[in-house]
Amino acid sequence: MWFLPVLIRNLLKGPSTEAFPFGEAMTPKKMRARIAFDPESCALCRVCARICPAGAIQFEKRPDGLEFNLWHNSCVFCGLCTLYCESEGLHATGDWHLSHPQSEKYDLVEKATVKFQKCSKCGKQKMPAPLPLMAKLYPGLSADEIERLRAMCPQCRKAETAPQDGGTQ
Amino acid sequence: MNAQNPSLLSRLSSKSPWLYRINAGSCNGCDVELATTAIIPRYDVERLGCQYCGSPKHADIVLITGPLTIRVKDKVLRLYEEIPDPKVTVAVGVCPISGGVFRDSYAIAGPLDNFIPVDINIPGCPPRPQAIIEGIAKAIAIWQSRI
Repeated sequence: MWFLPVLIRNLLKGPSTEAFPFGEAMTPKKMRARIAFDPESCALCRVCARICPAGAIQFEKRPDGLEFNLWHNSCVFCGLCTLYCESEGLHATGDWHLSHPQSEKYDLVEKATVKFQKCSKCGKQKMPAPLPLMAKLYPGLSADEIERLRAMCPQCRKAETAPQDGGTQ
Repeated sequence: MNAQNPSLLSRLSSKSPWLYRINAGSCNGCDVELATTAIIPRYDVERLGCQYCGSPKHADIVLITGPLTIRVKDKVLRLYEEIPDPKVTVAVGVCPISGGVFRDSYAIAGPLDNFIPVDINIPGCPPRPQAIIEGIAKAIAIWQSRI
């Protein structure tokens, strides 16, 4: 007799098989799958390429900057790059639809060129200073101040933010 | 077998390809996910008409996991030869596709496609069961075009 409640419950619950591939599949909210790269928030520190255990991330020299390459066929979704990216340029998305025919094997690459910039003060070529990183470095400053410092090279920024005439900032 | 209607056998078998797993030195993560797609009712790969078989001679779709270690390479190639043509090869996980974290190791013979013609790649470490089912669905489409 004790099987009756279980039987009724199972009948009410409906099938336990997921509808996929004939319907939508459930994806957990925090699932780590395809890694997305935002070239706007890359400081070109290249920690991600150093930390990647599978060697999936590589930087290549280009005349006006560095090209970021992430091969999804090598990425193991460990999430170390998203953890170590201080400028929040790398994010894990929930997109797990990565299966592909062999002809597309080498097309499955996240690719973007991060360009060098010119210092607004001395005009020298410099690495980009993305907004999330600068907001962490100068927490007390206003948005306009941070925008002004972002456009400078590290030397000019140091001179700008150092206390002048022995006083405090 | 079917002299009058040779397409009958093809028509029947195109609906029920049999899957065969080869572990080419895998860490067992992808193999667990492959077993999950077949055994657990939540994923149930048999809805697509396929089922796992124990003998390479019955296989239609081959699922290969692992980075193809040097020790297992000859055995995998011998096993692959035993599978009758036409067959569809699916590389499951990043290891057979690129080597994954084992790439450039002294114990690794390959990416798999240096030795075996691969048709479908399912990257992931391991790929989730739904991703494997998606890849198998693509492999079944190739299988139906080949038979």
